[in-house]
This record gives sequence, C-alpha cells and structure tokens, in this order.
Amino acid sequence: MFGERSNIIALSVIMIAVAILMSIFLPNKFLTLINFQSMTSQMAEFGLLTIAMMLTMITGGIDLSVVSTASLTGIISALILKGHVGIDASSTSGVLLVILAAIIVSGFCGLINGVLIAKVGVTPILATLGTQGLYLGLAIIITKGHGINDFPEKFLFIGSGTIGKVPMPFVIFIGCVLLVTLILRRTSLGLSMYMVGSNPTASRFSGINNSIILIKTYVISGALAGLSSIIMISRVNSVRPGYGYAYLLQAILVSILGGTDPYGGSGSILGVLIALFILQFLRSGFNILSISPFFGKSMWGFMLILVMIINFFLEKNRQRIRK
Amino acid sequence: MIKKIFSYNESYLFFILLAFVIALTIVNPSFFTLENLFDLLKNSAGTAILAMGVFIVLLSGGIDVSFTAIAIAGEYVAVNLLNALGISNIYLAFAISCSLGILLGVINAILISIFELPTLIATLGTLNFFHGALLTFLGTKAVNVGQLPNCFKVFGSKNIFTLIKSDGTQYGLSVYVLILIAVVIISWIILRFTMLGRGIYAIGGNKEAAKRGGFNVVKIQFFIYCYVGFLAGIMGVMHVSLIQYSNPMYIVGDELSVIAAVVLGGASITGGSGSVIGTLLGVSMITILEKNLVLIGLSSYWHKFFIGLIITLGVSATYYQAKVRGRKTLSYLKQKTY
Repeated sequence: MFGERSNIIALSVIMIAVAILMSIFLPNKFLTLINFQSMTSQMAEFGLLTIAMMLTMITGGIDLSVVSTASLTGIISALILKGHVGIDASSTSGVLLVILAAIIVSGFCGLINGVLIAKVGVTPILATLGTQGLYLGLAIIITKGHGINDFPEKFLFIGSGTIGKVPMPFVIFIGCVLLVTLILRRTSLGLSMYMVGSNPTASRFSGINNSIILIKTYVISGALAGLSSIIMISRVNSVRPGYGYAYLLQAILVSILGGTDPYGGSGSILGVLIALFILQFLRSGFNILSISPFFGKSMWGFMLILVMIINFFLEKNRQRIRK
Repeated sequence: MIKKIFSYNESYLFFILLAFVIALTIVNPSFFTLENLFDLLKNSAGTAILAMGVFIVLLSGGIDVSFTAIAIAGEYVAVNLLNALGISNIYLAFAISCSLGILLGVINAILISIFELPTLIATLGTLNFFHGALLTFLGTKAVNVGQLPNCFKVFGSKNIFTLIKSDGTQYGLSVYVLILIAVVIISWIILRFTMLGRGIYAIGGNKEAAKRGGFNVVKIQFFIYCYVGFLAGIMGVMHVSLIQYSNPMYIVGDELSVIAAVVLGGASITGGSGSVIGTLLGVSMITILEKNLVLIGLSSYWHKFFIGLIITLGVSATYYQAKVRGRKTLSYLKQKTY
C-alpha cells in the first residue's frame, strides 16, 4: 500500500512539473481554455483504451487487440449510422441504439479474447495478437479499406459537444472512470481480478472461478474499446480501418507508467489517470511545437523502456529493504 | 509407420500444404512450374530468414516484435551509407546492415536479460524507438532504382544457374536460396548439436529450472536477440535488392505475417518445442497463401484477416493440446509467459 501511495505522489509531482514546464515554454498556448478542451476530448478516447489495457494487465494479461476492436466497432457503428442496416440513426433513440450496438459488438470481440485465453488456454499475448489481425482484417474486408464519413448531426454531439465548458467526450470518460473504479474497489469481481493477476493458482484454490473472471475482464476491456471508438468516430466525423494504431503503444506505456504491473496483481485507476494527463500534456506540447510524429513515436518507445527500467530498479531496491 | 508419421505436427502441415498446392494447380496450371517455384523461393527467402530468428525467440519463451524495425534500419542505413561513400559493394552492405542489426539486438538483449523486462513490452518499445529514431534522424525519403547503388541490383538478379524456357525467356534459381539454406543449416546445428541450443530449449521450457541447471541464461538470451538482429540485417539487404527500392516505411508492420508463419509451424511458447522444418513449412504455407489469395477468388483485402485467423487458430490448437495434456498431469499451474 505504501508503495502505491508513493508512486501516486511521484506521478503527481511529475505531472505538475510537466505542466509547469509546458506553461513556461509555451506561454499563452498551453494554459488556454481551448487547449484544455482539445486535450480533454482527445484524452477521452485514448483514456478508455488505456483503461481497457490496464484491466487486462491487472489480471496478468494484455490486450493487444484494443485498437483493432475499436476499428471494427467503429466501422460497424458507421454502417448503422449511414442507414445500411435499415435503422434511422438521426434521432436520439437511433444514436442510443448505435451506442448499444457498438458495446455489443466490442463486447463480443472481448468475449472471443476471453474465451481463447480462459477456456482454450492461449497466452494473452498470442491470443490478442491473433485477434488483432482478425478484427482489423474484418474491418478492412467490410469497407474494402476505404473510410466512411459524414454522420448525423445528433451523433456528432458525442464527440464535439460540450456541457457547460466541459467537452462531452470527457464527461463520458469520467463516467467510465467512476464505473471502473466502482468495479475495482467495491465488487467481488474487482477483488478477484487482482487475485487472479497476482497468483492464479492461489485464487483458484480459494474458490475463485478464474475462467469467468478472465472472460468478464476481457469483455469489459472490449466494451471500453468500443465506447472509445464511438467517441473517436464522432469526434473526427469519419472512420477508417486502422485509425488510432499509435494508441496501442501509448496505452501500454500509460498503463505501466501509472503503476500497473504487467505481470499482474496491481494497478490503480488513479495512477493511470495521472499518467494519462502527463502523456496528454507532452503530446499537446509536441503538437503545439509541431514536432514530427516520428520523433514522438521514438519518444514513446523510449519512455516505455525507461519506465520499465526504473521500475526494475525500484523493485530491486524494495526487495533489498525487505531482506 | 503411418502412425509415427502422423505423430508429428509437421506431417499435418505438410499434407495441408500439399493439398493446397494441388488445389492451386487445378485452378491455375501455371502454378506448378519450376519457374514459379524458383520465384516463390526468391520471394519468401527473406521472410523465412526472419522466421528462423523469430522461431528461436519463441522457442526460448520470449517474443520479439522489433525485428522488422531492425531490418529496415539496417537496410536503409546501408543504402544511404554506401551512397554517401560512393562505394558499390554488396559485402560491405551486408556488413553494415548486420552490424547494425547485432547492435540493436544487443539493446534488446540488455533490456531483456539484464533488466528482466517482459519481452513483448521491451521489443514493442524498441520497435517504436528504433523506427521512430530512424525516420527522425535519417529522414523519410525513399531511395529509388536510379539512386540505388548498383551492387544491390546485381545481387538481386544474381542466379545460381539459369534455364531457358521454350519461348526463349530466361529464369533461374536466385542466390537468395543459398543464403536461406546457410541460415537454416546454421540454426539447425545450433539448436540440435550445441549446448547453446540445449540452453535455448531449456529456458523455453522453464527459465528458473534452466538457471538452476547451470545454464547461463543471460548469455543465452544475449545470443538469441543478437542472432535475431543479425538475421534481420541480412533480410534487410535481401529485401532492398529484391524490390530495388529503399523506403524506410516498408517492412515495419509485417511482424504479424512472420509470427503467423512461425506459430503455424508449430513453435509453441508454452514449452521449448517446435522445429526448423515446421517453421519452413509454416513460411511456405503463409507465402503461398499470401501470393495466391487473388487466385482462389479472394481480394487482397482478405490478407490481414487470414493472417489473424491463422495465428488465432494455430495458437488455439497448440495451446488446447497442451491444456488437455496438462489436465492429466495436473499441470494447470500455468507459468506466466511473456
């Protein structure tokens, strides 16, 4: 517990330091309402993917298919929105129906992952590596590689509307954060997820049905990816297979930066939330400075490795103290 | 006898491949010709070489996704360096590409063996780091045929022997096949006849047991990731010579195809099992499938889907067998593998 708290304090310090640095180097650009609105609305879609990743990491797995799930869901939602299945999606109830369909499709993608991992016994990496290609492949087949754009006005509110001054995506994101926090902290499912992640054998012998827990985790992870795709396609008003591929690495980076153990058993949503802000501040700074996306790519890769190395030394230190 | 043949995973794969080839030949008689076979060998040699590396990584219980970035880095640096120096020497190109490959492999090895990072996350990090750094510092400009040093073109079209078709056109067996055979034999000897190879199987079976059994796990992992880097370096030069075009955006993104081939070949991450022959069959299967999707009436859009399907089904079969076997021995106390 102490470790977790000090981790969160350290992350907060880093976050504040990054924010201060950004405000100093980018005066009148970083600390503006418009920048914060654009940051928070971009953060939502990416944040949901990260939470999806984090949940699977807590159980000792990983979900490499989050972005592909989002792609496939986005394409199917777009087809419904364009009236290809005979539903008029321009009304409010139509939009709600689309969201429901998206959650079902993405939840089903998650279910396949979960069954492969829990019932067939495939390691999470290989299972989701395979379905990553499978889902993205399906999306490509459906659209023949093309994009779909121009959605009904009412649907666009999800991605670009505001409530007061707060962007709608951020409102949805916070709602999901609260929901996931509730699951992790207040339900037996949440506790079981941590137990399966820290020691699957022990959890099995203490009467937890590991398979069901894993399947539920991957379904939730899929559904979060689906919600993320709804926000994504509504925000940019178009969808194309493979959109947001760069998010995969960043989702893993933020999960681990936020203190999630990739070997399972620990991870807090607060840590991930702070890490999310750090990454978003940096990304926004890169954007304002118009730094090349390739440099960004190498930076995220470098940061991921750096964070893992720091964790390695912290863990070693902790073990020495214990001895 | 027949029972023994079917106790190998490779036999199934071989017969599926055979059935597939027969089916393709019926659809398109020009498929089963020596010329097409030579062509197929030339086109798949690079993938097969990468697959050898990935196979050894999987065997050791790890996974590597950074090899494509290493291949493109080696290739692009070699092309640009040769151009800058004004030298046209294919051996120098290989030397540059392979040295860079080994160097980047060392970085992977340090992260994985010394800092004990999970292999997927470490190599996912280096994939992005290597490729991003390459594009940032060397630029994104492609080198086209006209600017490409001559040695690549010569190497790409060099044949061991050439035959003449009845209509007078020539075709031949590319030198690529020699490189492939050399890599396969070296990999096979390492795995089969050396203590190093035993060690690779051992840490794939159980890393802790291998360590206590006296294997130097750090050393073995260093070898594995450097070997992958070295092979990626070779593949990079072969790739640029084949397509006679050097674009730093190429190769990266094809990791899944290679991993699919290896998984299809029966390499499993659960325990150190799998064979060189299986891997080669897997590569043949994937290459023939990729090149002939259109021939069996499916557009190229199906490509990604098929790769995903093959990985999913391939790993499901392997792991399900292991699970059924494990149930008998109560070994459901599955160790976590990254």
